[in-house]
Amino acid sequence: MSAEDVRELRIVGFLCNWCSYGGADTAGVARFTQPTDLRIIRVPCSGRIDPLFVARALLNGADGVLVSGCHPRDCHYAEGNFYARRRLEMLKRFLPITGIDERRFEYTWVSASEGQRWQHVVTEFTRRIHELGPAPSFNPSSAEEWANLALHEATKGETCPCHGA
Amino acid sequence: MSQLEELKAAIRGHLDSLDCVIGWEEGYDPLHATPLFIHTEADLDRLNISPLAVHNLATYATGFKGTKIGIVVRGCHSRSIIELLTEKLIERDEVVLFGLCCDGVVSQRKIRAALPADPGFVEAVEIGADELEITIAGEKTTLKVQDVLADKCRICAYPDPLLADVLIGEKHAERPNDVGLACQDDFEAKSGAEKLAFWQDTMSRCIRCYACRNVCPMCVCQDYCIAGSRDPLWMSQENTPAENFMFQMIHVSHLTGRCTECGECERACPVDIPLMLLRRYMNKQVREVFGHQAGITLDKTPPLLTFQVEEARIKERDW
Amino acid sequence: MERFITQANLERLAQALAEKSSVLAPVASGGTTTFRRLRPGMQLDFSRMAVISPKDATFPRNETLLTVQRYPEESGKRLELKEHLPEGEIVVIGCRPCGARGKLIFDPVYETETIKDPYYIRRRDGATFITLACARPETTCFCHSVGSGPADETGSDILLTAVEGGFVAKAVTDKGEQLLGDSLFEDAGAKAEEAAANHAKARELMGEAHDYASAAKKLLERFDDMDFWQMQSAKCISCGACTYMCPTCYCFNITDDEAGLTSRRLRSWDNCMSHTFTLEGSGHNPRATKAHRLKNRVGHKFSYYPDLHQGHIACCGCGRCIKQCPAGVDIRQVVMAAQEHVDER
Repeated sequence: MSAEDVRELRIVGFLCNWCSYGGADTAGVARFTQPTDLRIIRVPCSGRIDPLFVARALLNGADGVLVSGCHPRDCHYAEGNFYARRRLEMLKRFLPITGIDERRFEYTWVSASEGQRWQHVVTEFTRRIHELGPAPSFNPSSAEEWANLALHEATKGETCPCHGA
Repeated sequence: MSQLEELKAAIRGHLDSLDCVIGWEEGYDPLHATPLFIHTEADLDRLNISPLAVHNLATYATGFKGTKIGIVVRGCHSRSIIELLTEKLIERDEVVLFGLCCDGVVSQRKIRAALPADPGFVEAVEIGADELEITIAGEKTTLKVQDVLADKCRICAYPDPLLADVLIGEKHAERPNDVGLACQDDFEAKSGAEKLAFWQDTMSRCIRCYACRNVCPMCVCQDYCIAGSRDPLWMSQENTPAENFMFQMIHVSHLTGRCTECGECERACPVDIPLMLLRRYMNKQVREVFGHQAGITLDKTPPLLTFQVEEARIKERDW
Repeated sequence: MERFITQANLERLAQALAEKSSVLAPVASGGTTTFRRLRPGMQLDFSRMAVISPKDATFPRNETLLTVQRYPEESGKRLELKEHLPEGEIVVIGCRPCGARGKLIFDPVYETETIKDPYYIRRRDGATFITLACARPETTCFCHSVGSGPADETGSDILLTAVEGGFVAKAVTDKGEQLLGDSLFEDAGAKAEEAAANHAKARELMGEAHDYASAAKKLLERFDDMDFWQMQSAKCISCGACTYMCPTCYCFNITDDEAGLTSRRLRSWDNCMSHTFTLEGSGHNPRATKAHRLKNRVGHKFSYYPDLHQGHIACCGCGRCIKQCPAGVDIRQVVMAAQEHVDER
């Protein structure tokens, strides 16, 4: 996908060394066309990915974060991705209450031979992030935004918004 | 014999064999209790178990490893103890649990909202069976305990300790354990933009005192928390909503499947950030995906410390 | 000079000042009251003492001291350093006498013959304090025991006192006097007497002051008595609520934030109750336990600081550390326990 008239967005990819990084390499060697928004960080295993890496990236202003590892049952370290799956699923489920769009984070599995699948995943995810546009900053960036925020309906309420007084 | 007398008698019987017993006493004013470390029979006279005695004393348990102590626990507090035992963070033969069948504790925030003047001006408090008669700035106000109960108590499924060596009081009838699941639907239903605005504004109050962390019975890293690490630098010292919220993300992430919903984080927050919104929400997710509730039984591994090859309730996404 | 202003006009004044400079004022939101940067549409909340102290005005929880810009080697340019001295003025409205007075503890530390902290000094000199005298003490208040009182003017530019229909405003400094020239103020007339009567009433409600005179010596005597400190700190959970709420705690930490070729040097509040406060590079920690740390916090305020600075107690008696402590540690009790300690040996 090309980002023709849209500026490039910041997408961070955490890829395991043994499968997904290899898959991305395979896609490259095969010269499959891919969008260029993704910045890849290679890690030994998806089990190495602390969900807080993703949280940190999102709070630091990443527009999207993609995690990819070996398919379940195919982990180079036998069970790293089984743990990863549970952690990443909980992170995905956590995001909605924070107000950070959970569609900005995705995790999946791509093996070293699946160059085509990698192309598909990265293209689809990049398209999704472009549809969502640049991520809103967690920090209000101007005095005006601060002012609006303080008067925002959602921030009012005497006590906990769920229970009332 | 009243619950208090019964408890005192039970503690008296154990005091010789224990380093200390942790309970509560009246605090800096009649409206507040504070933890009490009982070493002698004389200390025991100050014991107070009114609905003002709110602190989850399980928080102190890990600090006494290698000694033998007693802890007075309410229902939710016993869950913290169970979770600590499950994770082998404390030893069963190093704690004697004095369990209280609990009718709930107060929320100071609700008391503040219900009083005609700031509770800081309190002069006297009469604690009745289910009422608090508060004299404040010369004026008497009677509050029903029921009306100022902490949120966690309003939706409490386990009022009686799930683990205790001595059980004081009468057990409650069994309650359904899903009463609280819908309690914050209104908040959860807000749009992403509204929720973001809520946290931006709320987290701008945060001063990062880490009371929420240090009071948490499950936060056992304490002095070695990653939030204080300089290398790697997980968090900047900058005080912005994003940095402040980063710590909440750390807390949530490290509590997933471990939080026993004792509500201490929210109670301890000096600037009243409603942290239980995050806790209850995540616990609901854990129940949905793993069918797990922390601190209920001693034989379950926390869900993020284990896995299943085929996850029944995690749907892989198609690409 | 004493003048009168209605509540509505005070709000107007606050908003007008907010257009020219930063205004910090107690604002209620989310069930709590904290000092916030006043923005249009916000309401002042004078009904309770703000949870966080007004310390932010002169000693912000976080500030950028300097920024560093590096350049790629091939550019031939070298490092660029930029100092970020605070600019502009700040007005604090509605702090209590304890909060305004708290900053005086800073002066002997941050402005000495040999050491001058330009960041602090600039902020202090650019700050105006419009203080509200207290009508009655809270259970945690003990300002009268540390040399102050509910209508103490020290550190303030204007002292407001609530009277029927509004506030009597007394100018304490020239800066305050200038502000009172605003047309929103009226003649105080007989209201000045009402204010004086309210001061006396508030002071009377506080009751007898506790005498801390022996505290400095008694605390030092307990310095090596770790049993004593373990007992006192048993319920402490080592968080930073007490220090961050405190108007007089002035310790800071300096950290560098790096991003690519730019980095920033930040100064932020530090907290002596934290393990990392004195953690040394070697891994050794001279204050390894919470007992050591509480000893330092209490000792510093009531013994070491007074010893260095003409007997001034480094505590303004606002009671925030007591009220906001999640475990109810009461600094008054700790000092008293040391004062009343009888050596059994």
